[in-house]
Amino acid sequence: MESSNSAAFDGLLKRGELIESVSEMTPDYLRELKHTLIVSGDTELISAPAYYLAARKAPSVNAFMTGIAIIQDELAHAHIAYHILEELGESQEALIFKRDPKAFRYPYAFDVPLESWTELVVANAMYDQAGFCLLGDIHEQCSYGPWKRGLVKVMAEENFHLRNGRNWSKRISQAGGAAKEELQRAVDWMFPLTVEWFGLPDNLKQHSAQLDYRLKGLTNDQLRQEWLATVVPFMESIGIRVPAHQENSHYALDYPFPSTFDAEQKRWDFNDPCSWDDVLKRWRERGPRNAEMVALFQESFSKFKVQP
Amino acid sequence: MSPHAAPTPILPRERGREEARVWSALAQIIDPEMPINLVDLGVVYGVELDGRTVRVRLTFTAMGCPASEMIMGDIRERLLAEPGVDQVVIDVVWDPPWSSSRLTPEGRDVLLAWGLSV
Repeated sequence: MESSNSAAFDGLLKRGELIESVSEMTPDYLRELKHTLIVSGDTELISAPAYYLAARKAPSVNAFMTGIAIIQDELAHAHIAYHILEELGESQEALIFKRDPKAFRYPYAFDVPLESWTELVVANAMYDQAGFCLLGDIHEQCSYGPWKRGLVKVMAEENFHLRNGRNWSKRISQAGGAAKEELQRAVDWMFPLTVEWFGLPDNLKQHSAQLDYRLKGLTNDQLRQEWLATVVPFMESIGIRVPAHQENSHYALDYPFPSTFDAEQKRWDFNDPCSWDDVLKRWRERGPRNAEMVALFQESFSKFKVQP
Repeated sequence: MSPHAAPTPILPRERGREEARVWSALAQIIDPEMPINLVDLGVVYGVELDGRTVRVRLTFTAMGCPASEMIMGDIRERLLAEPGVDQVVIDVVWDPPWSSSRLTPEGRDVLLAWGLSV
């Protein structure tokens, strides 16, 4: 694969111009762009089986239709990322159907099963909000033109997912009693998992090629703060407790970050702080449903293939 | 009023003052999936006032519209915020079926600009 010399490439980036083709890229930029696209595509793709298992518990035909429409959106968003990867020289088939489940690069949160409609709508309100922050930043800042343009409709559709999450969270909270308690329990385990979603804190992340190459514009902590500034006031407004509070212009967590998580029990132990090495180890080992989630879309791939 | 009547969106100026107010309110509600309001989208087939009750005849662009509950929730919330309205009744109708010919010229421009072929 040919690439231009790095001085010309640096000039393009510095002038804030968009990169439009592989021929303009340096090998390092191409590698980093691919990595960022794989994380994005994998995250959208895995949310489909994860949401599907919970959407089956929808409380009405209309709610089920909304759940299925959201899943359809997520698959389409994944397709955008994998399609761009194909144009960059990767094989979609290999990426989606031939990778080992542990090789997928989506957030750990999706390895913990969503088992009820309540957990699905909390995922729409919190996981999709995380996606919205991350993709919104890429949409605004990304130096790779085809991806930046591909995200226009993705942002509009993610908004629809957020609305579903918020409308239903509010409705469940207003129902009170056992329904509200279930909502609180879902938020209790899913909130810290989403805080973790944004990755290492800035003081531990020595260097970000993604920022250097303007693949994104905000740091992990800036994105985490953006998420907190949206989710904390919303949850408080519907009478749901979250372990974070506002301090002047930023949000502070009310628990040691990071902490230990028991994925089987869906329970955090805030009395047991851990190191980021422990978290990275947990992420690498993946969670309880990693193989099952990946199998949901991989298992039938070869079934109807013409045999050589 | 039969669900067959008034198939095209009616401009507020052609209605009585009260009904015009309801149409204006409906024109402030944005579809949850596309950047277009419900009146320009052409899904409101009619509005009727009966005392403190507003009756809206509404269709959706598809029978499987995943946003139908959200849209009806938005209509109720917005119209109940109008002075003198205590009740909102929404009649969902499928005849005549919606098609892109029901878009207002403004709505068509908005969707074209957004990248939909209409």
